[in-house]
Amino acid sequence: MNSPKSKVQSPKSEEAGRSLWADAWAQLRRSRLAMACLFVVLVYTAMAVYGEAVYRVCRIKDITPSYQKQNLEEQYLAPSLPSRHPMGTDGLGRDVFQRLLQGTRIAFQVGIITSLIAIPIGVILGCIAGYFGGKTDDFIVWLYSTFASIPGLLFILAIAMVVGKGLLGVYLGIGLTTWVGLCRLIRGEVIKHKSRPYVMAARALGLGPFRIMFRHILPNVFHIVIVSFTLRFPAAISTEVFMSFLGIGVQGEPSWGVMISNARLRLWHGVWWEMTFVTLAIFGIVLAFNLLGDALRDALDPRLKTGEV
Amino acid sequence: MKRARSNLLSIAGGFFCLAVLLGSGCGRGQLEGEGTPGEMVYFGETSKIRGFDPIRAGDVSSALAASKVFEGLLQYSYLDRPYRVEPLLAESMPTVSRDGLTYTFRIRKGIHFQDDPCFKETGGKGRELVAEDFIYSMKRIADLKNGSSGYWAFNDRIVGLDAWRESTGGEAPSDYAAEVEGLRALDRHTLQIKLTRPYPQLLWILTMHYSFAVPREAVEFYGKEFVNHPVGTGPYILKSYRQNYRYEFVRNPKWAETGRGDRYPDRAPPGTDPQLLADAGKPVPFIDRIIQYVIEDSTTEWLMFLTGQLESSGVSRDNWDAVITQDKMLAGELAARGIRLLSSPTLDLFYIGFNMDDPVVGKNKKLRQAMTCAFNTDEYIRFYNNRIVRPKGPIPSGVSGYSDQPSPFPFDLDRAKKLLAEAGYPDGKDPATGRRLQLTLELGSAENPEFRQAAELFANFMEKIGVVIKLSYNNWPTFLEKMERRQAQLFSLGWVADYPDAENFLQLFYAPNSSPGPNHANYSDPAFDKLYEQIREMQDTPGRTELYRQMSDIVVEDCPWIFTMNPLAYGLQHHWLKNYVYHDFPYGMIKYYKVDGEERAKWKAEYGKR
Repeated sequence: MNSPKSKVQSPKSEEAGRSLWADAWAQLRRSRLAMACLFVVLVYTAMAVYGEAVYRVCRIKDITPSYQKQNLEEQYLAPSLPSRHPMGTDGLGRDVFQRLLQGTRIAFQVGIITSLIAIPIGVILGCIAGYFGGKTDDFIVWLYSTFASIPGLLFILAIAMVVGKGLLGVYLGIGLTTWVGLCRLIRGEVIKHKSRPYVMAARALGLGPFRIMFRHILPNVFHIVIVSFTLRFPAAISTEVFMSFLGIGVQGEPSWGVMISNARLRLWHGVWWEMTFVTLAIFGIVLAFNLLGDALRDALDPRLKTGEV
Repeated sequence: MKRARSNLLSIAGGFFCLAVLLGSGCGRGQLEGEGTPGEMVYFGETSKIRGFDPIRAGDVSSALAASKVFEGLLQYSYLDRPYRVEPLLAESMPTVSRDGLTYTFRIRKGIHFQDDPCFKETGGKGRELVAEDFIYSMKRIADLKNGSSGYWAFNDRIVGLDAWRESTGGEAPSDYAAEVEGLRALDRHTLQIKLTRPYPQLLWILTMHYSFAVPREAVEFYGKEFVNHPVGTGPYILKSYRQNYRYEFVRNPKWAETGRGDRYPDRAPPGTDPQLLADAGKPVPFIDRIIQYVIEDSTTEWLMFLTGQLESSGVSRDNWDAVITQDKMLAGELAARGIRLLSSPTLDLFYIGFNMDDPVVGKNKKLRQAMTCAFNTDEYIRFYNNRIVRPKGPIPSGVSGYSDQPSPFPFDLDRAKKLLAEAGYPDGKDPATGRRLQLTLELGSAENPEFRQAAELFANFMEKIGVVIKLSYNNWPTFLEKMERRQAQLFSLGWVADYPDAENFLQLFYAPNSSPGPNHANYSDPAFDKLYEQIREMQDTPGRTELYRQMSDIVVEDCPWIFTMNPLAYGLQHHWLKNYVYHDFPYGMIKYYKVDGEERAKWKAEYGKR
């Protein structure tokens, strides 16, 4: 990886060899809050991986997973410890904790897959627009302005309706609508980098535009992608919860949105646990990702550190 | 024909749709310009209204809406049980010829349509109702260009009407002037209907919205927009509306203008609550103005009821415990505050249908029987908090032909597994794939959590014998379309009886009624069809009841449906709602209801202070 920002590196000459990434990590380590958030995110990730494992194993073995097991003898059990249902059960006697784990799996799937759709679109279009400028730039700016001018949620719902209910609709709906912000940022950065000496040097050496864009410039703007990822991840999760709550998202799987929708029925009747735990889970992951994203931006964005404009 | 969603919220009927809303308390009622209390009433409706055109009102809420504005020749007697029809726009019951083929109706003189710009000849004044209006209305439903789902009611019944229907198929505009032999106006106020063969159910049919009188002027004036511009003779007129949010009806001024004297019934069968006769013989309607909102959420409905914003409420699964105590009596606190609980069996039948055209489930009787045996009645009833009974066959209790024999396929897991093995799926394993058999259940909507959970519960029952049910949620129109195109494998649906006659349920299995007709399972059995053709011409006799039983047995043995539930109708009313009695066919009966506005205002003022 290049380390072009020589200006930016710590003024202390004995640390001169450290890369941007090592530097950022060191700074992140110093922030206790950021590390706590990272830990929380890792816990959620572990839950999601475990959920995925349970789901896969049950699919392969062709058996009913435990989170779908109903038992009307145990409906609406309040949470208690120690017991088989630490977070209680829902209206069909299904374990809320197990379903919460599956909800984490779905939330992560949504966060990751929508990022895999949106980030490449944003990065590639942003690089092309910024690097080539002119008509290409005009076209891409027009394109993302058009996307941005459509009310986001309606756009997502429209896509989900066309593709059909279910996870695919959620993936595409969120993925295809949320690349605009990143595209803008990348375009701006690329325009800035285009006139830097290292790019000129590369051009003078006769390198092709795509090689310059993706081998030389992109690594230098990649921190934006990472920060953007940590911030869009919780946003995608919230959108998915919202869609599932409305009944146009996940079908037949325990998404957090579906769980909240189910829990709503008996809430006024004192069955608080399903709603509470799911809400806490969403709150936790959204907060952790957002704080982590902020810390990452502080650590990765050299301008904030050095005061460079 | 009415298809009901498989959730208790929309099983129509009086209770669930009869939620009278009030403006919220503390002076805010002023916003609606509330006059003297009791003059204006807010009604809630729990599912969407598709429009007011009687020939398109295929669902309960639309039919209820249309029946406020339009009327037919006959109506159900409000208080009489068992159900009985009585004349409404007809002067008296028809004279029927000895061969049972010719019905002659005298139509009441001096009945006028409401004033509407569509009546150009009279300068917007509503004209008098004549026999021709009924002929026009029945032709309208037969007109292929209108694509009404209600033609089954007249199909193959009225002399010449089928031929006329054929003639409307082409490009040319339908010829309403063409004579139909079976529908004749002998003079301005005499209508003669000639049948192709005896059809004793005709009288029930004539109470239905499909045969409501519609003025030709309005249909031609409004064209496609007629669905939003009802012009009728009924007790109310539609004043304004916002689609699926708010509908405002006011008393039809034409009734007072023409001195129309419809009255509250003055007699009732023995055993009727005497309070129901307090207004005997008084002119109807009692309520001046109705504001109807569409409330689709049961929790909202319940909370609004508690605060007195709703006149009455259904009892959903989730507020059941709070409302009803173990012995199904009203919980003490609510009873003490004057809330009444009425319960009544309904004729609504809910089921999971198998598409008999489907290569997997349609051709495999043992598979269907196995799944029927795997359906855990007790757990299902428990899930619904005892608000349902499990039907044993297609004919609900309370209708002649109902059999109280135990079902031949009761819940029995071992037997279900055995049947499944005989069906070719030992332990549910599909020999072709080596994996468990997977079937897709089509459902009307995913928005209602109770409905969703009931479907998950069903999937769980089937899982126990190794059949995996994939739940496929649609929105309601897509769902109906899938059914009409025979694309569903399994589907969850309900049937709300059109009239209290077993024939109305048995027609759902008659092969010529297959999709897009009401036989969505596309069930076909020659022996059954033959019996059906026999009974539909028979008058009510013990012999016919016996045939009903035989037909029911054929269906139960073949299992084209898993009969899931007959809901019990439980409804709550505040004490200020007067003259309310449960009716399976409450269309147009809002004219009998009365509201004591002072009592209502008192409740609203006091609520929350206790």
